[in-house]
Amino acid sequence: MSAPRPPKGHFNILYFASASSHTGKDMEALPAPLPLRKLFDILEDRYRGIQETVLDHCLVTINLSYVDMPSSEDEDGEENAVVIQEGDEVAIIPPVSSG
Amino acid sequence: MATQQPTQNNEDPQAQQPAPSSASTQPTEISENNIYVSLTHSPLDYTSTIDRVRSPEAGAIVIFAGTTRNNFNNLPVQHLSYTSYAPLALRTMLTICRSMVSKHGLKGIAMVHRLGVVPIGEESILIAVSSPHRQAAWRAGEEALEECKEKVEVWKREEFGGEEGGVWRANRDGKIGVRVDKARIGGGDGRGEKEEEVKP
Repeated sequence: MSAPRPPKGHFNILYFASASSHTGKDMEALPAPLPLRKLFDILEDRYRGIQETVLDHCLVTINLSYVDMPSSEDEDGEENAVVIQEGDEVAIIPPVSSG
Repeated sequence: MATQQPTQNNEDPQAQQPAPSSASTQPTEISENNIYVSLTHSPLDYTSTIDRVRSPEAGAIVIFAGTTRNNFNNLPVQHLSYTSYAPLALRTMLTICRSMVSKHGLKGIAMVHRLGVVPIGEESILIAVSSPHRQAAWRAGEEALEECKEKVEVWKREEFGGEEGGVWRANRDGKIGVRVDKARIGGGDGRGEKEEEVKP
């Protein structure tokens, strides 16, 4: 998949496999910056039920690197918290099934 | 690393068939020294894959072919298709291959995965490895496949046809995966739709 540049003030998020089926999309642009720990809440607001059926089983990448998903209640380490920036490419990675 | 011809290009599968528009601007293969990884929408080719790892220093070439099965736990599968996060999948394949080369002293390794619809009984993946002696090649071939199935960002969807619909498989847990209601595709907000796990 090749994502077009996101609009100013946005990042791209890519959906694969079950994430794509649940959202009905391969990708979309969401407003940036966004603290990573708020990502799943934002998606749950937009796609009711996605947290439990999809996101709980998924990993997340930012610009092709896997990131640890902090809990949304986790206020610790605010200083070092990952923030998704304008122009970033975020991807929801469900359990893989190659071969 | 051995000096051999790593980038023989006598038959480039990408050249035969235009890639879908969604993939057209991205590389679908990476060559590096004695390593070749590729994602392609074309049928896989044994000879060209083996030629990628051929070496005068090798006494063994092992090739693994994964083919698409017509059932999952006796549920008939009409057809299968694969999607990928291509740039990340290629990167992961490359990492696995580098690790196999250094761990098993390979002279070459090629890992090629097919995308899109793969008709039943056809190859969805080829892995070829070469080494001075057969033991390392057998081991590396098996380990490369296991690593690939665990990590590479490719997803298989099995279509059961009729009311059964399709499911996204997950290698990790060996379960059948999540049923996909056709109505949901393009549905937008996902509200009011249920997702259920299909019991095998």
